[in-house]
Amino acid sequence: MAEGKGKYWIIGLIGLLMGFFIMAAFDTTMNKTSTNEYCMSCHTHEQADLDWKKSPHYNSHSGVMTDCAACHLPPKEDGLLKYYVVKSRIGIKDLWAKWTKDPEEIDWESKRQLEHARKIVYNSSCEKCHVNLFPEGISDDGITAHLHYEENAKKLGLDCISCHLNVGHYMPGYEHKRLEGTVIQTIEGDPYDSAAVVNSFENFTETVPGTTAAINMIAVPGGEFTIGSSPKEPFHKEDEGPQKKVKISPFFMGEVEITWNQFWAFYNETMSEGRTPPEKIYANNNRPDVDAVSGPTPPFGFPDQGWGMGERPAITMTHYSATTFCQWLSLKTGRHYRLPTETEWEYAARGGTETPYFFEGNPKKYSEQGFMSKLRGADTTMIARYVVYSGNSSGKTQEAKAVHANPFGLKNMLGNVMEYCSDWYAEDAYSKIPDGALDPKGPESGKEHVVRGGSYADDASLVRCSSRGRTYNDDWLRTDPQNPKSIWWYSDIKGVGFRVVCDVPDNVNINK
Amino acid sequence: MSENKMDRRSFLGTSAKIGVVGVVGGSALLASCAKKEPKAVALRQPGEYYVPELPDKAIDGKALKVGVIGCGGRGSGAIMNLLDAADGITVTALGDTFEDRLVSLKDKLKEKRNQVVADENCFVGFDAYKKVIDSGVDMVIVATPPVFRPTHFQYATEKGVHSFLEKPIAVDAKGYRLIMATAKQAQAKGLSVVCGTQRHHQRPYVEAFQKIQEGMIGEITGGNVYWNQGMLWYKERQKGWSDMEWMIRDWVNWKWLSGDHIVEQHVHNIDVFNWMFGYKHPIKATAFGSRQRRITGDQYDFFSVDFEYENGIHLHSMCRQIDGCSNNVSESVHGTKGYWSSADHAIRDLQGNILWQFNKEAAEAEFKQQDPYVLEHVDWVNHIRKGTAHDEASECGMSSLCGVMGREAAYTGQTIEWDTISAADLDYLPEKLEIGPMDMSKYTVQVPGSAK
Repeated sequence: MAEGKGKYWIIGLIGLLMGFFIMAAFDTTMNKTSTNEYCMSCHTHEQADLDWKKSPHYNSHSGVMTDCAACHLPPKEDGLLKYYVVKSRIGIKDLWAKWTKDPEEIDWESKRQLEHARKIVYNSSCEKCHVNLFPEGISDDGITAHLHYEENAKKLGLDCISCHLNVGHYMPGYEHKRLEGTVIQTIEGDPYDSAAVVNSFENFTETVPGTTAAINMIAVPGGEFTIGSSPKEPFHKEDEGPQKKVKISPFFMGEVEITWNQFWAFYNETMSEGRTPPEKIYANNNRPDVDAVSGPTPPFGFPDQGWGMGERPAITMTHYSATTFCQWLSLKTGRHYRLPTETEWEYAARGGTETPYFFEGNPKKYSEQGFMSKLRGADTTMIARYVVYSGNSSGKTQEAKAVHANPFGLKNMLGNVMEYCSDWYAEDAYSKIPDGALDPKGPESGKEHVVRGGSYADDASLVRCSSRGRTYNDDWLRTDPQNPKSIWWYSDIKGVGFRVVCDVPDNVNINK
Repeated sequence: MSENKMDRRSFLGTSAKIGVVGVVGGSALLASCAKKEPKAVALRQPGEYYVPELPDKAIDGKALKVGVIGCGGRGSGAIMNLLDAADGITVTALGDTFEDRLVSLKDKLKEKRNQVVADENCFVGFDAYKKVIDSGVDMVIVATPPVFRPTHFQYATEKGVHSFLEKPIAVDAKGYRLIMATAKQAQAKGLSVVCGTQRHHQRPYVEAFQKIQEGMIGEITGGNVYWNQGMLWYKERQKGWSDMEWMIRDWVNWKWLSGDHIVEQHVHNIDVFNWMFGYKHPIKATAFGSRQRRITGDQYDFFSVDFEYENGIHLHSMCRQIDGCSNNVSESVHGTKGYWSSADHAIRDLQGNILWQFNKEAAEAEFKQQDPYVLEHVDWVNHIRKGTAHDEASECGMSSLCGVMGREAAYTGQTIEWDTISAADLDYLPEKLEIGPMDMSKYTVQVPGSAK
């Protein structure tokens, strides 16, 4: 008995020692595999490393350096299991990528956008260090925003990086501050003296007097087409039917989505002082004799998201902002500019075609949804020539020169940014259109507006000619801490913009 | 409609809603358990809320130097209260906009307390607060007109000085935000901050607060709060007074300085409800108010406000400063099992049976000090000497903004939401502070709504 007991003691002791060494080794391993050097040994994204070194988390006022694991792993306080699960998952993924992928071919650009960043940055990690959201020296705007965060973070799903995306890795052009100065640089050169002369129904270039903005307008001939898609079309949604035959009168339409150069020309001339109450703006702009419209208040930060302005489409403005742009453009040129109706938009997007896209191809082949696509990868050959979508956009908008035009000569109808239409959105809008109607309009009233054409972030299944979308006003404003919230700028949608149409002036003979 | 877009763009909104349903489900479950349980279910567990210790006198400890910013009635009163509350306190600096007020307190301190403040530590002018704080004090009593409170608190906190802030502590939205941020900074620095909402240190209130948290009146369903009194003091303009001097000397009658009496005075009562209710802020306010009898200034004489909190809970608040009307300064809180009123410091069940009443004799037998104006300083000094951070500014700040919300609702005739007022661009502080002429056209009585 005594001998037996001794044996158990020895086994127990060896077990204890082994356990101790395993634990110690585990701890050492866990610590060693969480150093920056270790992370970077596999995670070969040279630019991200450099940008981290340029960020306030590398070079902080207090001299504290925040390393990879501090943001990209959940804090241990959230639960050790979660920590180790995430750590193992990331580790395996990185090893897999190191062995099977060429870092040059990885789309790093799209990985730095908020949508992806939210998946790899843990908000609780931010909050673990930043315990006081109201540090000394914080501005009144900062206090307002952080009070909004404290009150609504859970309810609205706000993360720190919803507003502070550039804090971990430097992002050129991304600013987190109120935009200063009233005039934003547009195209250099002499401003135009007068608007374009339009005597015939052909393409023309509108020149906006007093600015350097020019807008290429395409003459879209009138005709008849079938709006919507049949239930047989792949990825068809219920709101795309019932299909109706409608007639459309001729109109002019912008060749491309309104660019930043054009939008800033409007902003520079019409800017309203910060926080001008909406009632004041509406009252002025609704006057029948208005000779100077009240335009946007300064946006917070750079609304281009740091992607660059110039010839990229202007984005993140509200529907009201886009409508006011048209009002301004009409006043400046003496022609009637407006947003397209939904039927005009789809007629123009189709350019006489009746297929899912205005070019050949099956949405199932282009889409990344579905088992087969996941297996062999989606086909992008044709679609990538015509559409800026998730398959080729690197997670941001592109200049119009990146794509070919549709049969009418219009570019980016299906992708790049979603475009506002003048109609209110209703799921059953098409069922209310009488067959053969001329220039039908959507419902009389509503809560959200129609947006058409997918965006740079959308899958091929959502950039079909018949795909319908709408605004999500409250959701698109959820991080805006102001109250009333901005009527000019959205804080939480990036892929939305607009293009203008121009009514054919009375003096122009459309048959000629 | 396009479901994919819905999924991607509204996912967070939807998941958040599901979360809310989960929470509601949970509390319904608790409620059904509560029904079977005959004894009181606590609203919060002890430790989840602050109950001040209220000994007769502050503990002995480090000698402390105090400065007074604002040497008018309340500043003078507060410093005497502080000297009653604790030993080892020396008044080392005074500040006021006007010399006569400063000298009057300086003389009183010498005469009554044998405390002599050196001439070089007496500061006059709008920037006197900085000089007092920079003079090497450990703590300051801030009792200037309320509009100045946020900036004075900010500076004291920046310099690591403990603050006693006379109520109200904000008269506008911008001031409220500065208070809320500064309160957090003061906590981070371990400072002790007490506000002049002295009911928090009044024995019968503190006991009632505990009873209510322990569940004696059940779940809170609403309340009524009152400050109806006669006309308040005012000062006619004297020869030689500039616009600014007159307004500051007559400050309880000017909305930019006092916040109007709903904020300046009635904040006490609104704050009592918020305190009992766990500082859940109202979501909106609809109010009436008007000016009938006042002689100077641009304020109203009365307000009546319906504050609506989440889940249909309402607080009715009333305040009036007119002679010859029924007076009432009190609060009551209603619950599912009974109600409390401060009029007789009693809790009754819904049949009117008294469940609890404050025992004044017992309290007087146990403690010598009953004066809440002294006890609040006992608590302040104890936190300072024990080195424990203490924050009353966040709570008083919230209640001050409730007053502002009610006031703006009455001034405009509009229902005002918390989200709107807390983010509003409302700033009563003039851009330039100097004794001299002002653009008096800015200071007119507000008229709600419109008329033909």
